[in-house]
Amino acid sequence: MYRFANRLCGETEAAKDLVQETFLNAYRGFKTFRGDAQISTWLYTIAARTCLRMRRRRKGAPERELSLDEFIPTSEGEFRLQIPVDGLSPEEALQNKELRQALDAAIDKLPEKYKMVLVLRDMEGLGAKEVGAIMGLNERAVKSRLHRARLFVRRELSARGITDAHDHERLT
Amino acid sequence: MAKRDVPRRRKRPAATSHQHGKRRCLHILRELSAYIDDELSGDICQEIRRHLGACPNCEIFVASLRQTVSLCRHSQAPALSSADRAQMREKILETARAQ
Repeated sequence: MYRFANRLCGETEAAKDLVQETFLNAYRGFKTFRGDAQISTWLYTIAARTCLRMRRRRKGAPERELSLDEFIPTSEGEFRLQIPVDGLSPEEALQNKELRQALDAAIDKLPEKYKMVLVLRDMEGLGAKEVGAIMGLNERAVKSRLHRARLFVRRELSARGITDAHDHERLT
Repeated sequence: MAKRDVPRRRKRPAATSHQHGKRRCLHILRELSAYIDDELSGDICQEIRRHLGACPNCEIFVASLRQTVSLCRHSQAPALSSADRAQMREKILETARAQ
């Protein structure tokens, strides 16, 4: 649960608060758990709702919608933006601190509802159906948000010019 | 002798540039996550593969999207230390008991 919270909040103290709130809410609401879903799905659901509530308390600004059109490359250069992982396994690539930080920053920058889908699906490894159950969405909506979130992260990673730093790091 | 009027060969576009309408690419880009996740029917997958084989731009795009997903899947979240875990458990129990 802490891993999930940390990925959503991006910082230790907020993640601890989220875990604490989640378990307290689960304790209070345990009578309502009917056992239809797995306990992990139920806890993820509570954590996701708690996170949204905590976020609303922190900032009042409405969440930005990500439109698919904003990710459509408008030039050949944009099409060909690359992420510097060629020839490396993802584990090896993530040893590059700058790439790791860029990935964390990109995920952190995602509007919450997109971030949640990406974290649950691509980082926690849940299926689209389960993510839908947690977030109260149908599978189609989950896939649509996931696609936009991935495109957002791709653009952020490839646009940060990590390539040069990475090459430099490898050469020196 | 009059020179034969040899028809000029049209220069082939470089392998890296587009040889088809962009609309096709945009259509493919909308489907790429489903393609990566293997959620599309065989026919559509084949159509996308054919397009990728002919369009270096989309091929690079899908490779970078695949790498993005792969990085997310392998990214490690920091774990909580055992002391922090114990402290948090204590705090939760304390608050729960007080209710």
